[in-house]
Amino acid sequence: MGFARKWQWFVLLLILGVLGPSVRVFAIPAFARKYNLRCSDCHEAWPKLNNFGQTFKDNGYQLMTGRDAPIYQQASYFPIMFRSMPLWHRESNNRVAVDIVPGNPAAGQAESRITTSGFDITGLDIWTAGTLYKNISFAVEPAISNSGTVFLLNYFVRFDNLLNSRWLNLKVGKFELDNLISEQRELTLSATGGFYQNYHFTPIGDRTSFGLGDNQLGAELMGHSINSYTRYSISVLNSNDGQLSSATNSYDLYADFSQGFEIPRLGLQRVGAYSYVGERPTFFDTSNGAPITGTGMGNRSFSRTGVYGLWYMGKFDLSTFYMHGQDNVFLGNGVRADQPMNLPPGAAGPTWNGGFVEAHYTYNPQLIFFGRGETVLMSRQANPAIRKDLGDVRVWTVGYRWYPIMSSRAGLAWHQEYAIGRTVGTAPLTGRDDVTNSFLMGFDFDF
Amino acid sequence: MIKGRSVALALLVTWLISSSLFSFAQESKIADLSGNAKAGKALYRRYCITCHGVHGDGAGENAPHVDPKPRDFTKATFKCRSTPSGDLPTDSDLYDTISRGIYNSAMPSWRPLTRQQRADLVAYIKTFSPRFHEEPPVASIVIPPEPPTSAESVKRGEALFQSLNCWSCHGKEGRANGPSALTLTDSKGYPILPFDFTKAPHFKCGETPRDVFKDLSTGLDGTPMPSFADSMKPDQIWDVVHYIQTFAESDRSFFHRAKSEGKLQ
Amino acid sequence: MSKYSFHIAAFVLLVVSVIMLCAAGRSAFIPAAGGTSVTGVVKFKGTAARPTRIDMSADPYCAKAHPSGATTEDVLTDANGDLENVVVFISDGLGTTTFPIPDEPAVMEQKGCQYKPHVLAMRAGQKLKVVNSDSTTHNIHPMPNNNREWNVSQPPGTPLEQVFAREEIAISVKCNIHPWMRSYIAVLKNPYFAITDKSGGFEIKDLSPGTYTLQAWHEKLGSKMQKITVGEGAPQSVEFVFQ
Repeated sequence: MGFARKWQWFVLLLILGVLGPSVRVFAIPAFARKYNLRCSDCHEAWPKLNNFGQTFKDNGYQLMTGRDAPIYQQASYFPIMFRSMPLWHRESNNRVAVDIVPGNPAAGQAESRITTSGFDITGLDIWTAGTLYKNISFAVEPAISNSGTVFLLNYFVRFDNLLNSRWLNLKVGKFELDNLISEQRELTLSATGGFYQNYHFTPIGDRTSFGLGDNQLGAELMGHSINSYTRYSISVLNSNDGQLSSATNSYDLYADFSQGFEIPRLGLQRVGAYSYVGERPTFFDTSNGAPITGTGMGNRSFSRTGVYGLWYMGKFDLSTFYMHGQDNVFLGNGVRADQPMNLPPGAAGPTWNGGFVEAHYTYNPQLIFFGRGETVLMSRQANPAIRKDLGDVRVWTVGYRWYPIMSSRAGLAWHQEYAIGRTVGTAPLTGRDDVTNSFLMGFDFDF
Repeated sequence: MIKGRSVALALLVTWLISSSLFSFAQESKIADLSGNAKAGKALYRRYCITCHGVHGDGAGENAPHVDPKPRDFTKATFKCRSTPSGDLPTDSDLYDTISRGIYNSAMPSWRPLTRQQRADLVAYIKTFSPRFHEEPPVASIVIPPEPPTSAESVKRGEALFQSLNCWSCHGKEGRANGPSALTLTDSKGYPILPFDFTKAPHFKCGETPRDVFKDLSTGLDGTPMPSFADSMKPDQIWDVVHYIQTFAESDRSFFHRAKSEGKLQ
Repeated sequence: MSKYSFHIAAFVLLVVSVIMLCAAGRSAFIPAAGGTSVTGVVKFKGTAARPTRIDMSADPYCAKAHPSGATTEDVLTDANGDLENVVVFISDGLGTTTFPIPDEPAVMEQKGCQYKPHVLAMRAGQKLKVVNSDSTTHNIHPMPNNNREWNVSQPPGTPLEQVFAREEIAISVKCNIHPWMRSYIAVLKNPYFAITDKSGGFEIKDLSPGTYTLQAWHEKLGSKMQKITVGEGAPQSVEFVFQ
């Protein structure tokens, strides 16, 4: 149990330290340059989309005014943009296992608060997207983390408006799932608050590698009404959480549907539902002890299902999200499916419920305040011997973004954010709650 | 016991919501919608200002990069109207133009905005020209029902296309290559091309036959396209509409599914 | 109240009434026939560009109407340097007086695929009658800055009437079908205007004595202004020189 916790803690730190203040881009000045529209036309406060921008995206990055194909652009136009953010941040974790005598692990360890701060940069996102031809769009995004690792975040081609119908659009490649509350267009950037816990939550001891917010590899069929009030998508994805250069012998399925409706004087409201059903292997064929990719066996299933809503009331809006997650008992305990005797007594498939409420106040297109309260609560652990609420998460985030310039050429935002999060029972030595907090401020450049 | 913190939070949220909702003064009316200029101003700043300019004069920061140029609202001269040439558009005309956009220009379709938002924008746009206060509102023209198209109707339309000199701009085959086509300028002096009928049904002011009838009857103010209301009777206008439809070469696009004006949100 | 208060009040009331009547009387001033004329001539100094030939082949009917060809009309001078088609008018000195609008319409004719007259002066609020005397369809399209813009197709013989509500000097008029056609309509608030003829001469009649600003406007050469004082009796003679 102690090892499992340490392992989990290490992964958490890895995520925080590496991905931590990282920015994944989805605010594209190249589009603003192409169409001579300001950022505020498509984004409530970039990168968060408004419905005009969402419809533009659904149309395959086209305005449908007859001038979308690249031949209407000046030959010197190339759809490329960059996003990066120099910042200052402060991170604090209240329970880190620290050698009592520095440099002498034999003297034993104790839990201690570690606080670090300093200047930093997020990674650099390079993004090229647009139309190859009328009704053929694409996106390629190599992202460079702030430690210099390059990874392909997005890479897809989309055939838009098949059979002249906006209800049929086919996207193939590596892409973000059709989440209207998109993690790649979120307003929060700090290590603690900068991602949706629900989009990455895995119970303690669970080996299912999956995140709703991770970009997946596969094909998506998507459709929308003329103003994107009605939207649906169905995707078939690799069962490997979007890992490139690795085969898989099974596929996951994702479906999403949402409907918008107008409440007079308040604005556009939207409700939606989604479900991700997938499977993961519990063991592989091996060669010299090393697993051979693509040979996964003993597949067991998992799911993430829920509803969400986007509620607009004048300048104020709420995003609400609920998720019910469940993993198979073998996945939840990290046991091979052909060795059920290794399951702990009373083992069960872990289930949990989570959600968040995120509020925004868009004072004007150049100033937005945001706040989010998020939680994930285990309802059943994979191993009944574990405490019932181990791994429960609660995170509060608050901040604002001010955009001193708003043009159709480039973007700049001054960003300040504070987040505090508690994970139940994961302190490495005492099993008490682990509390981290982040403070971040910096200049978010997009050009 | 309700925590004081929760009460404070609830009050803050209520204040934020209510302060961002606008007063209910009606300044534009489109069907069941009433638009408010104060609400429209905030929307204009977000969506329109970059082309149409702070003062609504079509001199926004992106205007130099855009062709055709953005509309100058201070003149209250509009292309897409249901009222006679020289008269102000109705609120519905402005609403429809905002909703449809203008094909083959930088003006996108703003249907993704809610109906209320578009009505508010109409109310605000009207504040740019004193004409909307000074001149009494004008009624839309009456469009009689379209008679079915026929070979005779098309032939009559062809004769009118000839005698009314439509070909001098639009060309004998409707390809916008008539002898006067390259001499045309809009009312600001910028070069402008006549419509190429082979691109039908992507007319600038709507895709349905009724929209084309309106174009012929009211003219497109601010452009060289005149009103033919005094030159043709409604039946004759329908004949010309039928003739024009024979020029279309492009495949039926999904825009053509627009059933009739008013039904599209 | 003192015993004189009534008399003082009455006197004040009388003075105020007289002042107001004078002012009102000024506003309702109607020029008496038999006022003074202002005559004069507008000249052009220097070498004007020669009128160029217009290619009317775009419309066979128009080409046929001008077998020996037609020429542009933007700067028309003769051997003596007289300048034609200059609008001469009183631009200042009439105060807030309003003048009755004539019932007869001003007429713009399309003949031989050209506008006749090339420059028309009329009153704000006066009817404009547009006549198509040709056997081809014209398109009459004035492009005002201070008035409503309208644009109407006019087949042969179709009647057309419009009104310009506000003063504007001058509104350019074009025909989109026949791109060489161009005319100008000067819309004036007052009736004191004239257009110079072939000899550059003009006469503005029935002016009451006073000091006025006389303005001369030409479509290409701009505007010139002069202050004139009109006395009883002898007609005033004024000369403008454009370059």
